[in-house]
Amino acid sequence: MSGNFWKLGIAAALTILPASIASAQEALDADQAAALCHGGGSICVSAKIPVARTTQAVQSWMSPDVGAAWAAGYKGKGVTITIVDDFSSSSRFSGNFGIGTRYQRHGEWTREEASMIAPAATIRSKDFSTGSAVPLASGRNVLNLSYGMYANAGYSVNQIGWAKEEQSIISYASKGSAIVSKAAGNDSVAVGGVTSGQQDYLDLALIGKPTAIFVGALSTNGTTSNKAQLAWYSNYAGSDPTVQSHFLVVGVEGDKTGLYGTSFAAPIISGYAAIIGSKFTKATPVQITNDLLNTARTDTLVNYDPSVYGKGEASLSRALAPVAIH
Amino acid sequence: MRERSNNRDGFGAAALLLCVVVGASPAMTQEVTTSLVNIHQGSWLSDRARGLANGGYELQDGSWVSFNRWYHSNWVDMQVDFLTQLTENSGILWGVGTGERAEKYRIAPSLKLGFLTQTHPSLNSTLSLSVTSTVGGNLSEKPCVADYGELGTYSVNCRLAAGETAPEDTLKYLVNATPERLRLWLNYRVTF
Repeated sequence: MSGNFWKLGIAAALTILPASIASAQEALDADQAAALCHGGGSICVSAKIPVARTTQAVQSWMSPDVGAAWAAGYKGKGVTITIVDDFSSSSRFSGNFGIGTRYQRHGEWTREEASMIAPAATIRSKDFSTGSAVPLASGRNVLNLSYGMYANAGYSVNQIGWAKEEQSIISYASKGSAIVSKAAGNDSVAVGGVTSGQQDYLDLALIGKPTAIFVGALSTNGTTSNKAQLAWYSNYAGSDPTVQSHFLVVGVEGDKTGLYGTSFAAPIISGYAAIIGSKFTKATPVQITNDLLNTARTDTLVNYDPSVYGKGEASLSRALAPVAIH
Repeated sequence: MRERSNNRDGFGAAALLLCVVVGASPAMTQEVTTSLVNIHQGSWLSDRARGLANGGYELQDGSWVSFNRWYHSNWVDMQVDFLTQLTENSGILWGVGTGERAEKYRIAPSLKLGFLTQTHPSLNSTLSLSVTSTVGGNLSEKPCVADYGELGTYSVNCRLAAGETAPEDTLKYLVNATPERLRLWLNYRVTF
């Protein structure tokens, strides 16, 4: 690896983003905490493994919007969702999205969730440990990133020597060639904020990119009569208007699935994007992104504040609806 | 005679079955007489159009759009049927339908034409046969123009604009229905 590629000798941690539920956290085993070094040398990324969950087989974890789309047999046809995640480690954990308790890797969970929301979207799996560039499929693309790239705080994004994997993702978000659904993180800080002396530089690199969406978690799906609030672990939008304008929240009802964390918020937005993309077959990723952002609801949230909820709770039904009709 | 019963609750009650003989008895004079045999308001197409008014959806800003505003008609299609008797046992059936319309659908006016013939197998029985054909009376649903903001403006099926179907594909589901084009009616009546 050339010196130019690795601009700085920092240690970036590749971290998947389930919530760290102290009372239920599993101890990390050596494999789970193993370093995944992109090119060795100065920058290593390490995978942190999801927490333990209580499994509770229910099928009502989706918002009514998602449930309706699913019940209607909506397929998400013509859109490819690429799940960039862990598909190779020995780390597995239990959960149940309503189709039976399973014991799966993190990526297998996020893939399953996205595929349940947009059942006929083409789902691709990209193991994040490879570091190779993420290829786009022909047609419309959504990238699901339920992980972060952590390193010591204080560097600028330009100082990070990204692997080709993240280079490609950031490039797609910059050029608007794919929708990038990025889990906001589970450290109860603002997007890109410092936690334990580290920052998620992938968050920072995606700020201001036209097709990047940061996805926070609500503890429930919100309604006007039963408003939702941010899950205790979820990162929030923060004071940066640029982040606020690309920040959405969705319900992650872990009490029903046993799966907590913004890792399981991002696939919902990926699925929404696929559904919108299959309705508006000529829409660009930028248009789909803006549609999702501009139709988010604020009246389903407790004490809506853009610094917490960004644009608000994503609403599939409103994203599919006209602005006006006559 | 008894008309096939496919009346709807609301308008079945409005149906009138009249047999008003206009003019002198044809048996005695062989004159051509015309009878009003049926005034009927409502039809299965009317009911189908009315069914389109059920439901609605939210626009992006949350405002509610009720289908009723597009599919409510102040007038219900009315058919008036006549029998022009040519001989003691035959005649021409004819009639007109007014049609109805609302903002997003139309039932076109219709014309009905046919004949009736009867025979008497015995002194107290009658066997009759009629055939009628209807022209016009089609139910056609009109599209809406939906503005999806940045995603564009499309001609859509008004009822499906907020669903998952691609806007251009919703037009496949516009209702276009025809009334019964041909009716064959065989009736046997015994009087005792």
